[in-house]
Amino acid sequence: MAQPPLWRRLYDSAERTVAPRLESVVRTEHFARGAALAGWAQATARTQVAALSARVWHLVNLPTGTDVARLRAQVGALDREVRRLAFHLEQQQAHHDARTHDKETGGADAQSP
Amino acid sequence: MPTLNPHSVLERVRRDVERNALRTRNGIRLATGARPSVGCTPKDVAWRSGRTELWHYRNDDVRFTPPLLIVFSLISRSYILDLSPGNSFVERLLKAGFDVWLLDWGVPDERDAQNRLEDYVDEYLPGGIARVLELTGRDQVNLLGYCFGGNLALLHAAHHPHSPLRSITVMATPVDFRHMGPLADVFGVGGLEVADVLDANGNVPPQVVLQGFRTLKPTSEVTRYVDLWQRLWDDEYVAAYQAMTAWSDNHVPFPGAAAQEVIQMLVRDNGFVTDRLTVGDDRVHLADVRCPFLTVLANRDHIVPEPAAAPLIELVGAPDKHELRLNAGHIGLVVGKTAARTTIPTIIDFMQQRSEVST
Repeated sequence: MAQPPLWRRLYDSAERTVAPRLESVVRTEHFARGAALAGWAQATARTQVAALSARVWHLVNLPTGTDVARLRAQVGALDREVRRLAFHLEQQQAHHDARTHDKETGGADAQSP
Repeated sequence: MPTLNPHSVLERVRRDVERNALRTRNGIRLATGARPSVGCTPKDVAWRSGRTELWHYRNDDVRFTPPLLIVFSLISRSYILDLSPGNSFVERLLKAGFDVWLLDWGVPDERDAQNRLEDYVDEYLPGGIARVLELTGRDQVNLLGYCFGGNLALLHAAHHPHSPLRSITVMATPVDFRHMGPLADVFGVGGLEVADVLDANGNVPPQVVLQGFRTLKPTSEVTRYVDLWQRLWDDEYVAAYQAMTAWSDNHVPFPGAAAQEVIQMLVRDNGFVTDRLTVGDDRVHLADVRCPFLTVLANRDHIVPEPAAAPLIELVGAPDKHELRLNAGHIGLVVGKTAARTTIPTIIDFMQQRSEVST
């Protein structure tokens, strides 16, 4: 089998040295806490910016992205409720149909000799 | 010192020139975004509820019953199971004579942000099963869950012991979430709240999940480009690369409420292992999964490492239970040579043994 080119052998050898070290770093508790802290800081900054811009938009009586998101969440919750209700109705209907079918079949069986 | 043969030098130069021409052509193709078709096996939508669809793959040569229902994961696209003609898990199942159905969760939006695990376990899944039974006239299905789809299948079977299941097969399904690596650790050990990563729709954006997966192998992103450069001349490799990267870079949002449940119940409480599972308001137990069971795990899986999936066999209560450990990666279970040679034939064999020849 042909040997890989020199540049590839160099890369593989560097990768073999670096990858396990990096992989062990990302699996430490310190990394998890650091990443969580970064995520939390990002979320906090996003919330602060959104709150500040909301104040500006509300001053001129306009809705903000947060307002729209809130509305979308409410519509989403409502959509889920309707879907669940429809599902339960379907189930009850199927159950009812099955019982009616059983009764009819039972009746027919009773009449047969 | 090796002697230089003018013929071999010429041959190498010729090959390099040819490969560079092919590299240029394939590079232009990649840059212009031409993509190979995926998910090509003919299918029909048999049922729809919300974003969820039940797909029925066409098969004129069904030789086994009951039908096989595949449950896919919540965070990625299901076409990985039907990647390309000749490299398709679904295609192989059809050729083996199964009547194949797949529950695809679609792309969640703001209407799905409040979805909890019970929506999938108690509604969509039983809804899909009921539709399969109604359309086929059968009274049972074989259930097959891939990755987190396996978790949903297990929760369903545990919560509904009388569900009409002939057997359950799960592949690369994690139960011990302490071993799930950085993505779980950030929420578990790090204490990050799901609310901190939700998007405007109230879902966990796909970028968060993608970033989590990339962190598992920090050098893989660079290696992927190095591999591509080395084999950019190879049309077959480039087509496979395009199909795979299009899939692995293209996750779907994870419904916010379900994500919160997963983090609390499965990551922080490690519910599968500690037997602290709740669906809706009910406690459920894996010991209640009693139907014939097969778990398939891959020993080179970096997404669901072996220690995360291994305890499952001991946790389910089925008297007829089997475990298959393969020398493959997470995706290698369903795509590529190992899948074609080992995984798929073993799964087919397991399910054929739990099926009847169709009349």
